[in-house]
Amino acid sequence: MSVLHVVFKVDGAEYVLPAADVLQMESFAGATPVPGAAPHVAGLVQVRGRVIPVVDARLRFGLPPVERTLDSRVVVAQLGSRVVGLVVDSAREVLKLDLQQLKPPPPLVVEGARGFVKAVAQVGPRLVMLIDFPRVIGEETLDGDGER
Amino acid sequence: MSASVDLADFLPAYLAETEELLGMGHRQLLAMEASIRRGQAHPRAVRELFRAVHTIKGLSAMVDVEPIVDIAHWMETCLRHADRAGGRLPEASVEPLMEGLREIEQRVRQLAAGKQASPVPPGLLARLEALDAESAPGGGASKPAPAALMLEEAVASRLSAAEREQLATGATGGRRAVRLDFIPGADRAANGVTINSVRERVAPLGETVKVLPLSGAAVGGGGLTFVLLLLTEASDAALLEAAGGPPASVRPLAAVAPQAPALAPLPESALVEEEPEEARRGGGSLRVDVSRLDEALERLAALVVNRSRLTRAVAALTAAGAPTRELQAILQENARQLRDMRTAILRLRMVRVGDVLERLPLLVRGLRRSTGKSVRLELDVGDAELDKAVADRLLPALVHLVRNAVDHALESPEARRAAGKPEEGVVRVASHGRAGGLLDLTVADDGRGVDARAVATRAGVPVPATPDALLEVLCRPGFSTRDAANATSGRGMGMDIVHRIIVDQLGGELGMETRPGAGTTFRLRVPLTITLLDALVFECAGLRYAVAVGSVEELIEVDAARRVWPAGAGGVALLERRGSTVPLLGLARLLGRGEADGHGGGSVAKALLVRQRGELVAFGVDRLVGQQEIVLRPLEDPLVRVPGVVGATDLGDGQPTLVLDLAALGLARGGGAPHQRRAPAQEERRLA
Repeated sequence: MSVLHVVFKVDGAEYVLPAADVLQMESFAGATPVPGAAPHVAGLVQVRGRVIPVVDARLRFGLPPVERTLDSRVVVAQLGSRVVGLVVDSAREVLKLDLQQLKPPPPLVVEGARGFVKAVAQVGPRLVMLIDFPRVIGEETLDGDGER
Repeated sequence: MSASVDLADFLPAYLAETEELLGMGHRQLLAMEASIRRGQAHPRAVRELFRAVHTIKGLSAMVDVEPIVDIAHWMETCLRHADRAGGRLPEASVEPLMEGLREIEQRVRQLAAGKQASPVPPGLLARLEALDAESAPGGGASKPAPAALMLEEAVASRLSAAEREQLATGATGGRRAVRLDFIPGADRAANGVTINSVRERVAPLGETVKVLPLSGAAVGGGGLTFVLLLLTEASDAALLEAAGGPPASVRPLAAVAPQAPALAPLPESALVEEEPEEARRGGGSLRVDVSRLDEALERLAALVVNRSRLTRAVAALTAAGAPTRELQAILQENARQLRDMRTAILRLRMVRVGDVLERLPLLVRGLRRSTGKSVRLELDVGDAELDKAVADRLLPALVHLVRNAVDHALESPEARRAAGKPEEGVVRVASHGRAGGLLDLTVADDGRGVDARAVATRAGVPVPATPDALLEVLCRPGFSTRDAANATSGRGMGMDIVHRIIVDQLGGELGMETRPGAGTTFRLRVPLTITLLDALVFECAGLRYAVAVGSVEELIEVDAARRVWPAGAGGVALLERRGSTVPLLGLARLLGRGEADGHGGGSVAKALLVRQRGELVAFGVDRLVGQQEIVLRPLEDPLVRVPGVVGATDLGDGQPTLVLDLAALGLARGGGAPHQRRAPAQEERRLA
């Protein structure tokens, strides 16, 4: 059984998310910072009239921040009753993935990715990583991720 | 107009009631017009409209608005004839009556804005008078000769010719023209005797021609006397009793009733008395100023804050090993009660969607005339309800959509016939109930549909493939100008305004379906309630923020000469203010956007004084932007639910602007208690 996935890039690596969870993809023109929110929370953006929090994938993955470009996107996804965004370097492709293709990530990736990668798939010459979206977004509020 | 100063107290009630009566008047007149077109009489509507106009006249005389009294008087006369003709009104009368209502409405607005009502436009009274002459049996010539009225100049000069005539000719048979002087006073008001109660009690006793306020020393020490000029069969004693006894007084106006006029006196009072006034006012409803409801909500918010303190105290007890099980059960019960209470208060602010749409039939009628198109408006909104604040914002969007539909979407009758459609176009506003705190509405027309190709050409973009994409183009600011675009695109200007209201302001959703030649349907989804806030907007470290005006005690300029940095205070400056010192916190630093120099309020120019746990604290900001009403969007997501941030709002730039609670922010992140994490605002937000 093949399922449609949205592909996005963070620091050159390719990640995927089931398209069914993605509401829309918007260009990113900056977020309103929220004081006291966890450090990986870029802030608030208004998407089609709705105010949603966005998480910066680079900061979340422990990568150095970069200048945002015209390619930067907010992947807006549904998480239960929540709607949240993930800021990524670019997102412009959808991919059909056979669920058979998804394999548990090698231990090295698990460690490096802090548990954010749920599975990996080899698609031709490319390696794409299925992210654990709830985990990337994080439930934590004030205590951040061991930050304070 | 010295008397109007004393009358200021009556004005709010007057405005509210008149507005309601005008709304009713418009409805009845539209119903009458519909009957006329079907060739039927509509006695009920004539009577209802008569009553509305009559009451407006009486109320307006009370607050001394001569122009409205005059207009209402002539409308009343015209309607009285229609009533005697069995509820038949000549078609030519509809327009002047409509105009009359419009003119009254305009003057009521002027009064509401604190202005004087402008004089009656000369043409209108002439037209209304002409109607009167036309429709009156025997014409206007047979009016009886007026009798002399015994009236002092102060009173006589404020009566219109029509009223003088009414008083002079109305006293026939057992009826007399009398003046009843009522002097309002605190002691009488305490017993429930006010000019309103007197009016109501006098009403069944006869016809009230005019109520005049007179200022100047009155018997009993008051500065204001109400003179009620009446046509009545009741005895002086009965009238005096109705006015609460002395110092009220009754005097006859005409010494001798004039000869019975050729024309029998009009059974005016019969029209009015049929249904006692109380019955109309009743219905178990009550008009309440919205600000009073908001006040109640505020009180409730204070209760909630108090409760969270209680919760913390109980938690401390529990931690100390005290038996608090029962206390906790009570607290839980209390939380539920507070939530129920809040729901109950919010329910009070709900208005019926049907009432909100009251103006649409009038709008469509005007469009029918200005466009020459044949249109039927269908309203099907059931008994759905909305918060008043939402309803007030929603209405302009609906007006826009309906106007667009008639102006641009519906074809001319000829074009419709050619297309095999009924000549009469239909615009339908419907509500399909509510779910999850949202109300769904549709505005549909059976017009030509939106021509995606024409829209694309106009906007200079590829033809949109989906309805959503098409709507997106339509809603672009400034899309479509008033020239030829309207006719070709089938959708006029101003969709960006609709989008702004529905999506950006109300946080709702806007959708569209359109089929060429078959029509367009707009789907609106709006929240049932929103929270409005009077806010101060300011700039700090390059970003704008808002705070509730009520939370700020004072705005001050930061004078560098009156500011010191005590050693070891962690960057908190002290500011001298009226002989005492106030801690000054640089807001930029609290927000984590601080200056690296470590000095709180290093470069700030202005400061907001806020009470934090009873102590005044100054929060330094860069620049004040202004004060405005904002729509508060609570932040529900745990990622951004932080102390000190109440919610977000859109100031018009499409970017969320944070709404702060400075006191909570200071407590949570400020010098005093840097690691305090549970601010009262947390719980407050859940409820409020």
